[in-house]
Amino acid sequence: MPVRRLSEFVQALRGAGLRISPDEATQGMDAAALVGYQGRQRFHDALAMTLVKREDDRPAFEETFARFFAVTSGVASAAPQDSAMPAPVGDAGEGDEGLAGDGVESDAADLTTQTPAELDQRLAEAAAQMDFTQMEVITQQGLYTRRLLMNMGMGAVDDRILQLDQGDAPGQARAEMLRQWRREVREQAAGHVRRQFLLHGAGKGRALREQTMRAVPFRHLREFQEVKTLVRRMARRLASLHQRRMKKSRRGMLDARRTLVASIRHDGVPARLHWRQRPVQKSRVMVICDVSSSVSDAARFLLQFLYAMNDVLPRVRSFAFASRFDEISEDFQRYSPDVAVGRVLDRLSGSGTDYGEMFADFWRRCERELDSHTTVIILGDARNNYLPEGAEVLQQIRRRVKQVWWLNPEARSRWNSGDAVMDRYLPHCRLARQCASLDNLERIVDSLLKGLN
Amino acid sequence: MKTRIDSVEDIIRSFSEQGYICSERIALAVYLAAQLHKPVLVEGPPGVGKTELAKAAAAFLEAPLIRLQCYEGLDESRALYEWKYGKQLLYTQLLRDKLGGMLADTDSLEASMDRLGDLGEAFYSETFLEPRPLLHALRSEEPAVLLIDEIDKADQEFEAFLLELLSDFQISIPELGTVKARHQPLVLLTSNDQRELSDALKRRCLHLYIPYPEAELEVQIVAARVPDLDARLREQLVAFIQYLREQDMKKLPAISETLDWARALVLLHADSLEQEQVADTLNLVLKTEQDVTLARELLPAWLRKLGKR
Repeated sequence: MPVRRLSEFVQALRGAGLRISPDEATQGMDAAALVGYQGRQRFHDALAMTLVKREDDRPAFEETFARFFAVTSGVASAAPQDSAMPAPVGDAGEGDEGLAGDGVESDAADLTTQTPAELDQRLAEAAAQMDFTQMEVITQQGLYTRRLLMNMGMGAVDDRILQLDQGDAPGQARAEMLRQWRREVREQAAGHVRRQFLLHGAGKGRALREQTMRAVPFRHLREFQEVKTLVRRMARRLASLHQRRMKKSRRGMLDARRTLVASIRHDGVPARLHWRQRPVQKSRVMVICDVSSSVSDAARFLLQFLYAMNDVLPRVRSFAFASRFDEISEDFQRYSPDVAVGRVLDRLSGSGTDYGEMFADFWRRCERELDSHTTVIILGDARNNYLPEGAEVLQQIRRRVKQVWWLNPEARSRWNSGDAVMDRYLPHCRLARQCASLDNLERIVDSLLKGLN
Repeated sequence: MKTRIDSVEDIIRSFSEQGYICSERIALAVYLAAQLHKPVLVEGPPGVGKTELAKAAAAFLEAPLIRLQCYEGLDESRALYEWKYGKQLLYTQLLRDKLGGMLADTDSLEASMDRLGDLGEAFYSETFLEPRPLLHALRSEEPAVLLIDEIDKADQEFEAFLLELLSDFQISIPELGTVKARHQPLVLLTSNDQRELSDALKRRCLHLYIPYPEAELEVQIVAARVPDLDARLREQLVAFIQYLREQDMKKLPAISETLDWARALVLLHADSLEQEQVADTLNLVLKTEQDVTLARELLPAWLRKLGKR
């Protein structure tokens, strides 16, 4: 096969969000050449093994594979002649129809009498005149399909159908036949456009969408499907960044005692040096999230982010409150973040947040665990429904722990509007930031990690 | 080592003769790895036979298996090579007089240095080199199967260190220069996904994910490994394990646990999954108290449902 076909497939995969290096692409081709193209399953497996390196990417691969190798009839169709185009219909009624000889008819007949292979050729020619690289969003596909059909000369057929519809019964029957034929051709054209979109549009659109996703407020993020992947990727990037930093700070002091003891074996020559072990990292993060309706979107992403980073942030305890307050660490340990967030919202959601009561409850539960290695992060809008603020409890907490951070999903200008009482809490927070988009969130977690190590 | 592998079927057949029943995908991975000379990164939940795969592959290829178990803090001196410091010191001690004699007739410091220099790299030669698994694999007289087990447990630096080995089958040792593999080994890396591996590593490897087996395959595995178990009980047992995997367990039972349980049931002369026996031996399958309790609660209903069918 057609190395070209395979490299188009790799292109399509890249469009679907997989990161495939040229070397991997070559591997994929070698593997495909080795197993042959007869067994579809084996061909599929060989490509999967060489091109998909992460289980998260598998669904995208499966989808692309199915779509890509279904458009032309199957993997085995190395020969381009094996076309899915409909059989010619135009020559059927030339003689016995009164309308024959009409100028419009001849144009339409020109197209409808072509064999599938010729039609394929025509489609390819028409497509070659168009510039598909400008496609950016999926909804443009319809437009491009129509344009492609027009370029093929389908306009004449449309006119012919309209004309036949006006006529007698046999004419209408023939119109029906032509319509069916047109549907099939259109499907082929649409398939072609879809493939072109995968090649050119999807990748570009994705970069654009990613940029948007990072900047829009959390509550609009639901409209994007890929946001989960993006969050995971951002978290992974941050995690690997800080992992290295953690390792760097590990090196350091020579352990003189152990080096001396070990050197006795070698007649006092310190043949091997021993280094003092890095003390176990004790920092602990406690997150308290407001999950009432106004803030729950931000909470969802903050928690997803934090738990996606358990490589570098092993000791996270999380709490949530809306009308009730409860620990939710267990949910996140047992379930994937999406599921866990859903469960927590089911259990605790409601309105009527009472920050004062929440602080008191948190103090009761965790007083003993608060120490100078603990960072407490509070995510909330500080809208207290005019209840007692409980700022003195927050002060108590602050005295016990290393630092208290406050993340507010609202803009700074609204921090004290209405029933919000941020200014009562601010004096007790080492840091208070707006946390309204993924970009904000990334920056916050980054500085959190920097502070911890 | 076998140099010719005829087909994927060949591998499946040989594996099953050894009692390693595998899906076609697994065999295909071994086939591609051997033909394309690429390492394979094997991922999957614990206990699905990742390490066993390396053993089976070694037996199939009639090659020695060299195993490197990774752990946190693993470094080059444990994985690749080390100088035998003790031996070096001992030699210098023993040879002290000899060296003294050799240097006796030199009159200046420079001359002594020159003469010592003439000794060449005597103290950093093969004699004092302690090869570790990776170097063994590279210098092995016949092509070997190299298993780098649980790579996710090693540090990231170690991963980076492996890259040269994985892409070019060579490794640079400062004192000796670059060591190239005499024969390219078949490299298998396993990972439990404890930590995300770097893209650079993944890029150099074929990727194989081994999931928990389908019921049909698992029945075959049990049949091959515990042939004494009654066929009907085998089906029951596998069906129950498969059912457990769908439950909300802390640690899901893997193939190795299925096999342990099957063996226990053979010892107990069980002929069906009767309640007491199952309940008593459940701790072979499930490793936390919570899970065992949950499974105990689920079991009666499951058995009833089975009875009805």
